[in-house]
Amino acid sequence: MRWIRWMVPLLVVGLLVSLAGMAYANGGPHGGYTPTTDACAGCHRAHTAQGPNLLTAASTYELCMSCHGASATGADTNVADGVYTDRQGGGEGTVNAPLLGGGFVNYQSATVTSIHDVDGTQSAAWGFGVARGSTANLPGPLTCGSCHDPHGSNNYRIIREEIAGTTVTVDQVDESAKDYTVEQWPDNVTNACVACHGAYHVTRANSGEDNSDDGSGNADYGGDISTYAHRVDMSYQYGSNADPETTGYGGYTLPLTASKYVACQTCHLPHGTAATMTTLATGPNTGDSALLRLDNRGVCEVCHQK
Amino acid sequence: MTSEDPRSLSPTPETDPRASEAPEPTAPAAPPPAEPFLRVEGVGPQAPAPEVLSFAVPDLSALAEPPADETRRRKLLAVLAVLLVALCGVVYLFVRYLNRPEPLPELLPVPVEVNYPPHFVFAFYDVNAPLGVALSPDGKRVYVTESEGDRLIKMFDTQGNLIRAFAPPRTTAAERAPVYIAVDARGRVFVSDRLQHAIFVFDAEGNYLDAILGPDLTLSEYIAKHTGQTPDPGAFAYDIFEPEVHYRTPDGDERTLPRPDAPTWAPLGVSFDPSGRLIVTDVAREQHRVLVFPAEVIAADDWTDFEPEVFAFGAFGEGEGQFQFPNKAVVDALGRFIVSDGNNGRLSVWSPEGEWLFVTGTGGGGAGLNLPRGLALDERQRLHVVDAVGQVVRVYDFASEEPAFLFTFGTMGSLKGQFNYPNDIAIDATGRLYITDRANDRVQVWSY
Repeated sequence: MRWIRWMVPLLVVGLLVSLAGMAYANGGPHGGYTPTTDACAGCHRAHTAQGPNLLTAASTYELCMSCHGASATGADTNVADGVYTDRQGGGEGTVNAPLLGGGFVNYQSATVTSIHDVDGTQSAAWGFGVARGSTANLPGPLTCGSCHDPHGSNNYRIIREEIAGTTVTVDQVDESAKDYTVEQWPDNVTNACVACHGAYHVTRANSGEDNSDDGSGNADYGGDISTYAHRVDMSYQYGSNADPETTGYGGYTLPLTASKYVACQTCHLPHGTAATMTTLATGPNTGDSALLRLDNRGVCEVCHQK
Repeated sequence: MTSEDPRSLSPTPETDPRASEAPEPTAPAAPPPAEPFLRVEGVGPQAPAPEVLSFAVPDLSALAEPPADETRRRKLLAVLAVLLVALCGVVYLFVRYLNRPEPLPELLPVPVEVNYPPHFVFAFYDVNAPLGVALSPDGKRVYVTESEGDRLIKMFDTQGNLIRAFAPPRTTAAERAPVYIAVDARGRVFVSDRLQHAIFVFDAEGNYLDAILGPDLTLSEYIAKHTGQTPDPGAFAYDIFEPEVHYRTPDGDERTLPRPDAPTWAPLGVSFDPSGRLIVTDVAREQHRVLVFPAEVIAADDWTDFEPEVFAFGAFGEGEGQFQFPNKAVVDALGRFIVSDGNNGRLSVWSPEGEWLFVTGTGGGGAGLNLPRGLALDERQRLHVVDAVGQVVRVYDFASEEPAFLFTFGTMGSLKGQFNYPNDIAIDATGRLYITDRANDRVQVWSY
């Protein structure tokens, strides 16, 4: 039994080393932790916390904004204005290029017209376990941490690996090639959206056909107000569609995934947009731009060019 | 006044046998006695003289009699003298305080090292998510930058009354992000703008003067070199989101020029050292460093030939001599540069020549920093560090070679004296501290 005396400590050390190796090395304080890291105290208090998850503040939004706000005093990703404040990629890159997610206060120097409201209020999501066109309350208040994991995740945009109780898989882009202003989306980037907006995850061929039964293993919530919905996770090629990413229309372009698939993010900005809606495009919620990237229905024309 | 007068201090018949032995029959009639100042039952003009004299009139004759009481008298005089000197001292301190208010220990003729935390005085609220704060040279104006709402630069008096608000010309709220602010000896106001990648300069009243667009470029210089004419101060404007800069000719015509090349820096923290050098923290992508502009160039009236010999130190990273988002730098009495190394959670100390010396403010306990942002030194070389996520101000003694932690003040919250993401601090000569309390939308005033 003498071997137990050295085997046990060895196993403990081995376990610690293996756990340390699991820490993600995302940017800034969002990963790369060591067994004796001092980073925890940056945001947490063990005995004197002021908010959930032992946070130093009651508001997750304010905590994030202390680095990522308009002042960008601790990060180049200014999510208030939706800009990357420095030259993305170094060298001659553009200064103040738009962020991939849009902005929560302004976007492209204009006040936003719709946002994902992440100030910690209880929110309802469209199609969250209910039919399209209907909303259901999320399990908890919507915050930055609802979609992003501040401790890092398996992708550089630190998108959570579980959102609203649903496992989310978003493939990693090479860490060394990460870019916050140029889309480098894996084909499964849509998973981050459909964790909450599941009823809109229509993947059956032929968008204009009856797709109330998805047929692809995705949830069919039934009772939809419409059985017809635009498909995602598909190639942009349909009829005479132009490549929205390279050709575009009238100077406007839209991003696609790595395999040229259409994702939710092709038409929508997840943080917020300053697009404006007029007359027919206003819809039932006046002034709500539904997170669309372009004014009115510009997102339709970029591909379909009618 | 006769012996019958109850107020008389003359010897009484009972106490002085001479009085009873030889009454003067020819003495003139006594005038009517005055009303006694205290009437006691059975005592008064109508009462017999012995009773009147028995009224408790203190025997003060001892005071007049020198031999036995001389010592006592001298002691009394000594006490009076001491009291007089003390009174003079208090009057002196009071008059001096009125002329130049300072914390009490610093008013005393003998230096007294007392390190106690300041106390909360009041707060003013007419600001939206304030970040930077600075004081005019006379301490009578408080300049504050806003990070939300209209994102203005606001000027207050010391009671928190708004005097004026201003912003870089031709910019909208969405196009500007004023952060840190500093005031030079002439009262000019320097404001770093994170979106514009520039330092905008205003006069003491908030009138726009010029913009520093890079370590060796000002807007007035750019226009002068492209037009061959020296523009009037403030007769030009720059917006990084616009393709052109606007200027007004001496004839009053509005003209435009193509915008300068994209900036190569990202100024964040601004401050002045005692010699008038402008100290800027630069957080341009992966070249985080500190820039020191010579005083003579910055103090000049004309920046149309702006070629300062900028002295720089630091690099991006977590190691020795590296920064991650240095927020502000100040110079102590020993000439050392002290930098709040924000995302590395520490203070980085450099020699006057720009050689890295050491870091401090790391680790646990009260001295350990979380997210250091604004810095300010007081006259006693106490460095005040605003810990934005720690929600406190930590104070260190930098009077000697080896700094020491002194104390922390403030707690997290929204009540008086509580912070919700504080960011910057300014201290006046009287020991008053102005601290921006971002998420509480106010500026707190504390005092020693």
